[in-house]
Amino acid sequence: MDDRLKNPGPVMTDETFVLLRDFIYEQSGIFFADNRKDQLASRLAFRLKANNLSDFEKYYYLLKYDQNAARELRALFDSVTTNETSFFRSPPQIQAFQDKVLPEIMAAKERRGEKTLRLWSAGCSTGEEPYTMAIVLSQVMNGRRDWDVKVVASDISEKALRSAKEAVYGEYSLRSVPPEIKRDFFVAAGSSYRIVDEVKDMVEFQFLNLSDTRRVQLMRGFDVIFCRNVLIYFDDQVKKRFVSQLYDCLNHGGYLFIGHSESLHNISRAFKLVHFPGALAYKKE
Amino acid sequence: MEPPVLERLKAIDDLPTLPSVALEVLSLAHRPDVTIQLVAECIHRDPPLAAKVLRMANSSFYRRGDRQVETLHRAILFLGLAEIINITTSLSVFSALTSRRAVEVSIREQFWDHSVATGLMARHVDKKLQMRSLGREFVAGLLHDVGKIILDQYFHEEFMAAYNLSREQDRPMYETEMATCGTNHMEVGYYIARKWNLPPYLQDVILWHHKPSRAAFPDMAAVVSVADHMARAAQFSCGADTMPFVLADQDAWAVLKERGVDVNGLDVERMTFEMEAIGHQVKEYIETVMNPEEGGRRDG
Ligand SMILES: C[S@@+](CC[C@H](N)C(=O)[O-])C[C@H]1O[C@@H](n2cnc3c(N)ncnc32)[C@H](O)[C@@H]1O
Ligand SMILES: [Fe+2]
Ligand SMILES: [Fe+2]
Repeated sequence: MDDRLKNPGPVMTDETFVLLRDFIYEQSGIFFADNRKDQLASRLAFRLKANNLSDFEKYYYLLKYDQNAARELRALFDSVTTNETSFFRSPPQIQAFQDKVLPEIMAAKERRGEKTLRLWSAGCSTGEEPYTMAIVLSQVMNGRRDWDVKVVASDISEKALRSAKEAVYGEYSLRSVPPEIKRDFFVAAGSSYRIVDEVKDMVEFQFLNLSDTRRVQLMRGFDVIFCRNVLIYFDDQVKKRFVSQLYDCLNHGGYLFIGHSESLHNISRAFKLVHFPGALAYKKE
Repeated sequence: MEPPVLERLKAIDDLPTLPSVALEVLSLAHRPDVTIQLVAECIHRDPPLAAKVLRMANSSFYRRGDRQVETLHRAILFLGLAEIINITTSLSVFSALTSRRAVEVSIREQFWDHSVATGLMARHVDKKLQMRSLGREFVAGLLHDVGKIILDQYFHEEFMAAYNLSREQDRPMYETEMATCGTNHMEVGYYIARKWNLPPYLQDVILWHHKPSRAAFPDMAAVVSVADHMARAAQFSCGADTMPFVLADQDAWAVLKERGVDVNGLDVERMTFEMEAIGHQVKEYIETVMNPEEGGRRDG
């Protein structure tokens, strides 16, 4: 602590901040407003060290022109993203998903003689969200094997994805997991817990930059999308473009969940806003 | 076979009554020559009620600034006649409908939570849409489901059957009430509202809050209907009535639109979050009415 006070590390000038901020925005849609300069500086200080660089301007040139730029970009994504998440986050949304959304979609599909379900956790972080979706899905399936189900989970942070694929969580991550779910869907592994294979195998992780419009365009045919607490990092322009893409990613009758207390007001009018007890969702009719 | 619930209700002679002073105050509101003096005198004829109104006016709920108002006269001056009438009505209804034969306390609690939440939300929606209903929307929200409490009190078994059916089958209460009681809480509420001689707008909202387009006061009924939905979305829902809904597909929405209200400009998401945020006010309001003494002194 004393050390840091005496030696606060490289200073980020306003010009370099703008260069880096714009670069990050172009690459990921993640927007650092002017008041977050210090936050960006402290997050990137590690990358400077890792690359043996003395100032942020050099780091910018590395990202822009170096032959290792592509690799550093991935590390940059790890550094600028916030991976805060938990199992069963925003319980009323999970409840609505379990009690109303899944049964409604499945009933509609059965009437058409379809038995496939495709769910997507867009911005899945370390996996708690997609595994929660898979757990709920397997509860709703209740042992039925005649459905073809899959949860696609994607993120821009490779570090988060690596940890998600491990599917091992500490006691603290499981704090809001109901005991019977802990019993049925986790196995103790030393002081940690591993997701049971049956659930783990339902989830397919992939690297996906959500501001990469061409890649996102390939995502099609989803019945439910969770994109929670991700839009907050984007500015309105990126939000609008991306949300209209999400609309195209959904099947008719499909639902989009965004973070509790996030809103699509002024972002999109394409969806129907559906009120559930304690939760909102957006439906594609 | 038993006669239908509505017939049996009409034969009951100990239905709850509103204090006569409350009714008088309500009717005063329509007199063109009404004065503060007149209303204050009227309320003073029921001293316990007068004391409660004064405490309510001083509760953190209604109080503006930190001046304590000492007399009813000043309370009316500060809060306005409309608000005093609202307070008087709410207090009277609460005292008429609480203590008696409470069978299933938890459902009663849910009922009042839902009613107060709807009242608060109605006030909020009214402000947002600039309807200027002068606080009448609050009373309307508070009373819209009064029929449910009557059903629960006098036809408990039938009402509980409707309640359980609504939960099991995910159907609205007014539908399942029809199945188990042969009537619904709107008809029953309307009957009691007429018996109590409540003002026409209240009778109307009580009867038509699930179909505002049929109401004689469609704006008011629509505001209450929107508030009713928002209260349920914020999980103040009487336990049953938890079906998902699309606000823009509701009858109330069409009514507001037709009457030139800028519903498209309304930030529904924000309104939903605000409803969640006013949730704590619900408990506070109920505490204040149930026990005005404590509520009144809270920050005095
Ligand atoms: C706060 S977490 C939310 C995790 C989870 N959805 C939840 O609600 O608990 C945000 C996640 O979004 C990811 N993210 C941010 N920008 C992204 C982008 N442009 N493309 C893909 N993922 C992104 C971050 O890496 C991070 O893991
Ligand atoms: Fe009702
Ligand atoms: Fe209601």
